[in-house]
Amino acid sequence: MDIRRHRLENGLRVAAIPIAGLQSAAVLLAIEAGQWFEPIGRPGIARLCALAMLRGTITRDAKAWADALDGIGAAARLDVGSHAATFSAQSLGSDLDVLLELMADAVVRPAFAATEVELVREQTVAQIDDDAKNTRAVAERAWRELVYPKGHPFRARPIGDLDVVRAASADDLRDHHRRAIRPDGAVLVVAGGVEAQQVFDAAAKSFSSWRGGGSREERKVPDLRLTTAVRKVDVVPDKTQSDVVLGWPGLPRTDPRFVAARVTNMVFAADTFASRVGHVVRDELGLAYYVFSTLGGSRGQSPWVVRMGVNPINVERAVSTTLEELRKIVDGKVAEDDLELAQDKLVGELDVARESPAGVASLMLEGEVFELGPDYAERYPRELRAVTLEQVVEIARTFLQPDRYALAIAGPPLPERD
Amino acid sequence: MHALEARHAPVVSLWVWYQVGGRNEVPGTTGMSHFLEHMLFKGTPRHPKGDLDKLLARYGALWNAFTSEDVTCYFETVPAERYPVALELEADRMRNALITEEETQAERNVIVSEREGLENDPSFLLGEQLQAVAFSRHPYAQGVIGSKEEIKLMTRDGLYAHYRRHYAPNNAYFIVAGDAPATELLDRAAAAFGPLDAEAPIEPPKAPEPPQYGERRVIVRRAGGALPIIQVGHKAPRAADPRAPALSALAVTLAGATAGGGEAASGRSSRLYRALVDTGLATTVEASFQLMKDPYLFVVEAHLRPGVTHDRVERVILDELEKVARSALTDSEFGRVRRQMLSASAFMTDTITWRAWRFGQLLATGAAASLGEWYDRLAAVTAEDVRAAAESVFQEKGRTVGWFVPEQS
Repeated sequence: MDIRRHRLENGLRVAAIPIAGLQSAAVLLAIEAGQWFEPIGRPGIARLCALAMLRGTITRDAKAWADALDGIGAAARLDVGSHAATFSAQSLGSDLDVLLELMADAVVRPAFAATEVELVREQTVAQIDDDAKNTRAVAERAWRELVYPKGHPFRARPIGDLDVVRAASADDLRDHHRRAIRPDGAVLVVAGGVEAQQVFDAAAKSFSSWRGGGSREERKVPDLRLTTAVRKVDVVPDKTQSDVVLGWPGLPRTDPRFVAARVTNMVFAADTFASRVGHVVRDELGLAYYVFSTLGGSRGQSPWVVRMGVNPINVERAVSTTLEELRKIVDGKVAEDDLELAQDKLVGELDVARESPAGVASLMLEGEVFELGPDYAERYPRELRAVTLEQVVEIARTFLQPDRYALAIAGPPLPERD
Repeated sequence: MHALEARHAPVVSLWVWYQVGGRNEVPGTTGMSHFLEHMLFKGTPRHPKGDLDKLLARYGALWNAFTSEDVTCYFETVPAERYPVALELEADRMRNALITEEETQAERNVIVSEREGLENDPSFLLGEQLQAVAFSRHPYAQGVIGSKEEIKLMTRDGLYAHYRRHYAPNNAYFIVAGDAPATELLDRAAAAFGPLDAEAPIEPPKAPEPPQYGERRVIVRRAGGALPIIQVGHKAPRAADPRAPALSALAVTLAGATAGGGEAASGRSSRLYRALVDTGLATTVEASFQLMKDPYLFVVEAHLRPGVTHDRVERVILDELEKVARSALTDSEFGRVRRQMLSASAFMTDTITWRAWRFGQLLATGAAASLGEWYDRLAAVTAEDVRAAAESVFQEKGRTVGWFVPEQS
């Protein structure tokens, strides 16, 4: 891949990956404005701010902005995660300058008009209400509350707490915007049917006026370790399946052990077919239609969790089977072939992701956001291959203790336990 | 067999589209095609269970399968040098799947689990009921996954007979797109599938849907959701109908080219977004016209804000449908719709997997003979075509309305 980089004077880092033969360009703008950067004790402010940024600017009202975006046929969305608020978009390569100008307008000059903030708030309140009947959302929320103490940036889901959302004012969002929506720490990645210079010119034209307000305080969050197994069961009426979240606090993306942790995750449960848990829980025992694990990458300890959908009568067996598989890893009973399979899968995926401009942009984003080095794309597959069995076992012992976990279950009532 | 060159990445995506799905099933065996799809991952004599999974996982493949009302599809997107292996796996399981009694029993639980997961979603429950009420004779009424009771009754022998009858080269489309000359991609495919025996030709199902003579309605009351939902379906023509491109444009007019919740920024200039979401009546709205072999439904779905009544939102939706059927779009509005539609088409074909998927979908449903033909037909749609398509479809006599009414727990 031909990766070109440029840094604007305001600190915005720009990476361009031209791909010959494509009509479109995928754009990812990651701003360090996710949960980690949210005001302490105010979960939901980051997402409200992001959604309000899509509802009009000081130069265009919401209707005019939407007309302009749809006028170039672009697809776009703005999501808030544990680390970043990520504006992801795609347009024809020839429309890139218009797309970036519209994105910049929303990011740099949002109006936060009272009526629009109110609309976003009410939408969010409705979503929180609906999530209270959604087994996946209920289990996710319960799991976070078991693991993260009050005030921790990851205790709530990005959608936030109802009370915070209800109380948030337009000024709260302006304040968050001024402090968190800033070019230093932000990364713009563009991949597809574009020239690198076209990307740099368009980025400079649209984003040069972007300024952050003051310096950002470094967030200090104490390390977390679970000291015992904790469990919560929520009954959600009129459901037939239980959603299960089983997990541990993870490790920061900047931790030198993170790549080994990612390989461990693949050996353990990340993929239905390449991982031990999927093989046993779904394929051998037929206990679940879906079962997979994820390890979040952020500056903090994002969730490292196994998720599965299971009939209530099978929940206990699915959980105990998952923990048995984990125990085997912790006890060093990992076959060389399990490790090779996990490494092959992770490295092979990098090649396959190159099939689309969005895949290429996503591949690049992590290295750019966490400043993992200009040779990261080239180095990363080698780092995956270099992980040893001993490292996998050590990672599992350190982060995935089979007798100290948090388990959240949401769905129909469970049968009585023996 | 069809091949498309896509030389921007060292990747190949291959798809097998079997002409069998919910449409080919009869009551008592609904869900059989979907159940069978699961069994195709359970091994052959040459590649025992687990072989295919591990091989493809090792390649980092993007691979899966799905079953719809019309088709059952299998695909693998792999590094280009692995194309021969993926091809061999697909050709092998076209005729040699084992489908044992033991594996059938084990997989039954997985499929019941899949069904139960879907039942947790109020939108699925309502959609399933809407489909059942909208069609009185056509098997589209049955959906795809089947009822839990029928899944439990499915036998190994029944599945195997279904497999042998429908899984043959003369009942499938093979599509490949990727980083090699098209002739080379096709030659390899011909060598893999050529030796396989054909089966007796399969007659299409003979259960045409009779005319509908008035609006139908269905209500689903459950405690398993907080937000009321409304779905409005209108009988719509098949993919091969000349109006299909205009109906695709109509869906974009009403709700944009890309779906999404509050995080989605595009599609907000659409008529229903403006009428329902911007006004605070709904949290999301979508409109879909699917390319199907037989006449199906044009569906609008909205999730209501708490406290907003179904009646009110239904009235707004029907008013908007009536307006778009009455007056042609203005030039500026039509310009936005056209750009969204054509850009979405370009985005899709810039991804090798989706380029192959789209081509297969057009062929399998009879919508077009090539990507280029479909693009040209989309590009030729006029504002008046959109209005006329709306007028022909949005008729009270072809309408089915569904409400999901949340109950207090």
